[in-house]
Amino acid sequence: MTVISCALEKKRKLPPCRAACPADVNVQGYISLLQQGKFKEAVELIRKSMPFPAICGRICVSPCQDACSRKNSDQPVGIRYLKRLAADIEREQGRIKPDSILKKHGEKIAIVGAGPAGLSAAYELAKLGYPVTVFERMPEPGGMMRYGIPDYRLRKYVVANEIAYIQDLGVEIETGVEFGKDITLDTLRDKGYRAVFIATGAQLSSKLGIPGEDLHGVFHAVEFLRLVAQGKTVDIGEKVAVIGGGNSAIDAARTSLRLGAKEVTILYRRSRNEMPALPHEIEAAEEEGVKFHFLVAPKRIIGEGTRVKEIECLRMELGKPDASGRKRPVPIQGSEHTYTVDTVIPAISQVVETSCLPTVLLDERKETILADSLTLETKILGVFAGGDIATGPASVIEAIGAGKRVATSIDRFLNGQDLHAGREEETESVSWVKDWEKITKKPERYKAPQVDVGRQSVSFEEADRLLSQAKELATVEARRCLGCGPCSECLLNEGLCDADKAIVDETLCTGCNVCAVVCPFGAIKKNERGVAQVDDLSCKGCGICSARCPEKAIIMERFTDDQIRTDISYALKKEFA
Amino acid sequence: MMFKPKIIGFVCNWSQPTTLNSAGTGRIWGYPRIRFVRVMCIGRIDPVAVLETFAKGADGVLLIGCHPPDCHYVEGNLQTEYTVEILKKLIPLAGLEPERVKLLWYSPSEKQSFGQHVKDFYEQVKNFGPSPLRNEQPQSKLMLNILATKNVASDFRLRVLLGREKELTEGVNVYGEHIPKEELDATFDDIIREEFVRHMFYLLTKTKPFSVKELAETVGMKPAAVLRQIVNMRRRNMIILDHVEGTTPFYKALEVK
Ligand SMILES: Cc1cc2nc3c(=O)[nH]c(=O)nc-3n(C[C@H](O)[C@H](O)[C@H](O)COP(=O)(O)OP(=O)(O)OC[C@H]3O[C@@H](n4cnc5c(N)ncnc54)[C@H](O)[C@@H]3O)c2cc1C
Repeated sequence: MTVISCALEKKRKLPPCRAACPADVNVQGYISLLQQGKFKEAVELIRKSMPFPAICGRICVSPCQDACSRKNSDQPVGIRYLKRLAADIEREQGRIKPDSILKKHGEKIAIVGAGPAGLSAAYELAKLGYPVTVFERMPEPGGMMRYGIPDYRLRKYVVANEIAYIQDLGVEIETGVEFGKDITLDTLRDKGYRAVFIATGAQLSSKLGIPGEDLHGVFHAVEFLRLVAQGKTVDIGEKVAVIGGGNSAIDAARTSLRLGAKEVTILYRRSRNEMPALPHEIEAAEEEGVKFHFLVAPKRIIGEGTRVKEIECLRMELGKPDASGRKRPVPIQGSEHTYTVDTVIPAISQVVETSCLPTVLLDERKETILADSLTLETKILGVFAGGDIATGPASVIEAIGAGKRVATSIDRFLNGQDLHAGREEETESVSWVKDWEKITKKPERYKAPQVDVGRQSVSFEEADRLLSQAKELATVEARRCLGCGPCSECLLNEGLCDADKAIVDETLCTGCNVCAVVCPFGAIKKNERGVAQVDDLSCKGCGICSARCPEKAIIMERFTDDQIRTDISYALKKEFA
Repeated sequence: MMFKPKIIGFVCNWSQPTTLNSAGTGRIWGYPRIRFVRVMCIGRIDPVAVLETFAKGADGVLLIGCHPPDCHYVEGNLQTEYTVEILKKLIPLAGLEPERVKLLWYSPSEKQSFGQHVKDFYEQVKNFGPSPLRNEQPQSKLMLNILATKNVASDFRLRVLLGREKELTEGVNVYGEHIPKEELDATFDDIIREEFVRHMFYLLTKTKPFSVKELAETVGMKPAAVLRQIVNMRRRNMIILDHVEGTTPFYKALEVK
C-alpha cells in the first residue's frame, strides 16, 4: 500500500447525510430501521446522538437532506419528516422515561443557558454520570426553541417533553437565574463547580442603525417573538413591515398574521434567490399571504409623535458578490419611496449579549466569545463556550453539535486528559452509486403536516387508521434511501444488525468474474492474479455473490451455507403445530 | 387425517413479515406451518439451497423479499427472480409441481394483501398434497432425481449464465451485447436437459455399476443417446468402465476424493 492510500484509509467514510450533520446523527442507521417499520428503535438510535428527535423533526435546517445523494436521481429522502413521525409515534405511547443513570463522578458541572447547546451538553454529561446543573434566566428552559421559534412551527409541549427527558436523566435546571447578576464564574467556582459551559446564545436583535428605530411600533424580531412566546399581548396594528430575509423574518411575519395583522410585507434588500430563509418556510409564508418586496432597504422610519407612521426605503441593485458569496446590494440614488405602516419589525440578525460576560472571554471586536473551534475551550481554564454565543446566530443542530463537543472536552478536562488528541477525525462523504442512470427513480412518498394542526376529535378507529397509513407511507419513503455509506455505518456498530461480509476462498476462485458482475455495490474486483477481491468497506453483506459463485468460492461470514442448511433442517424438524 | 403442509419461507432481513426468534426461524401469524429462515437479502438464497429444502421433505418453499425498487441491496430481488425462474425449470425434473415454489414481495405497508398471497400459496400446496419426497429413502429414484437437479444447479455453465443474465438480456455488458430473453431461456433449457441426464447417470452408477441398456430403461431414453452421454462423461472423468459381462460393458461413477 502506498503512503497516499494509507493516509486516505484513515478517513472515516460516511454517508453524505451523516457527514453533513453537525451533531453526527446516524441518519442512514435510523432510516434503515424505519425501512423495517421499527419506529421505536429508530428514535432510540437518534437519541444516542442527541436529545431532540421531535424538535429536530420539526424545525431542523436538515443539512442531511440537502446532502442526500438521492437528489441526483429525483429528490432527497424526506429525512426530517421521517424523524418527526418516528418521534411522534413514540410520544403517542405516552411519556418516555429514560433508565436512571448512576452518578459515577463527583465533579459538579455548571451550564449557563438552557438552549439546545447547553441542554445537549447537559444530556451527554449526565449520560456519562456527571452531576450537572443548568442555569437559565428565563422562566422556562429551551432557549430559542422555547422563546424564538414560534408555536405554530414548534409547539411548546414538544420542547417541554424533550427537556423533561433530559431532567429525568438527573440534570438539574434552575430557571430565573441570570449569569452576570445572580451568578458569576467566581461564585460558581466557590460553589464547587469544576467546569462551566457558557451557552447563552445570541439573544439581541441587531439594530438597523437608521433614524426612527426607537419609535413606538418598532419591535425587533427576537424581542417581539419572545413577547409573543411569553403570551404577552403585542399591539401591532394592521400593517406590518418586516425587514430581513432570514428565518426570523419569516417567523416574525407569519406570527404577525396570527396576531391579526391585515397586511404583512417582508422587505429584503437582495432578491429572492439570496434569501437565507428555508425555501419551505418562504413558501408557507407566501401561501399565508405574506407579501415580499425584494431589493429594497429601509432608510429611515418616520413617526407621527412617538408612533411609527411610515417607512422610507431605497431600491437596490445587485453588485459583485461579497464575502458571503452573495451579491452585494447597492442602493440606487434617488429611489426613495415610503410605505405606510403601523409596525416595523427589524429581523436582520442577532448579536450576542456581551454585557453579562467577562471581557477576557470576548474576541477582539467584542462581538462573540472566543472559543477553540475543536474543543470549545475559552481563555479561562475550565470554562467552555459554544452554540450561537461562539458562532453568531446559527441553527439548533449546530448548537447541539457544539454541546456534544463541549461534553467530550469537559469529560477529558476533568479526567486530566488531552483535550485535542485524536479528535480531528477526517471524514469523507461516500456513496457506492457510480451511475445515477441505473438508479430507479422513486417519487417522494411521505410528507408530514407542516403545521401542527389543532387537536381535532377523531374516533379511535380513525386515529388508528391515520396512524397506520402514515407509518406505511413512511416505511415506503424510508426505502428510497440508497444506503450510501459503508455497511458498518448503518446499524452494525449499534448492535442492531448482524451484518454479513463476503470472503473469497482464493484456492477455489477461477476468476470467472460472476461475483463482480452481480455485486450491486461494485465491491468485488479481480486482482492482478485474476482472483476476486472483496473491498470490505463497500461490501454490504447481501450474499448475492455467494449465491451465484459457480465454484462456491465466496463464503459469507455470518450466513454461511452451512448456517442456512442448519436453519432449514431446524425449521423442518421442529414440531409443526 | 387431514394433510398439513410443511412450508419453508426464506425471508430477507428488511422485509420480515414476522418477528423471528434469535435462531432466525419463526412463524408467521396465523400460519404456524410456515417456518421462516432469515438471511440478509433474499438474493443470498442459492437455487441449490431451495432444492435441498425440498430434498429434506418440505412441501413448499416461499421466497420473500422486498418489492423490486425497494431492495436494501438494490438488486437482490431481481437476482431472486432469476433464481426462481431456474427453480421452476428444475423442480419438475424431480417430480414436483413448479408451483410449490413461490416468490412473494413484502412491504410493511401491505400486510393484508400479503396475508392473502400467503394464504393462497398455503391452500395451493395443500391441494398438491404431501411432497413425494417427504418420506423417501436416500437411494430412491425420486431422491436421486432431486439430487441430480441440485447438481445441475451447481453446474458452472449454468451459474455463469445465471450470474450474467441481467447483463446479457439487458445488453449492459461492456460489449453492449444483447441476447433476447427467449434465446437465453432456450440455452438454459438445453443445459438443464443435458446436465440433468448426466448427473442422473452419475448418481445411478454411484449406487452400482450399470450397463447402457439398464440406464436407458431406468431413465426412459434411447440407448444410442445414453451411449453418447457415457462417452462424453468418460471424457470428463465422471464415469469409468467397471467390468464387462459377456460383451456388455458396465459403468461406474468415478468418485472424486
Ligand atoms: C426566530 C428564530 C427562528 C429560528 N428558527 C430556527 C429553525 O427553524 N431551525 C433551526 O435550526 N434554528 C433556528 N433558529 C436558530 C436557533 O434557535 C439557534 O441557533 C439556537 O437556539 C442556538 O442555541 P444556543 O443554545 O446557542 O442558544 P439559545 O437557544 O439562544 O439559548 C441560550 C439560552 O441562554 C439563556 N441566557 C442568555 N443569557 C443568559 C444569562 N445571562 N444568564 C442565564 N441564561 C442566559 C437564554 O435565555 C437561552 O435560554 C432560529 C432562531 C430564531 C431567533
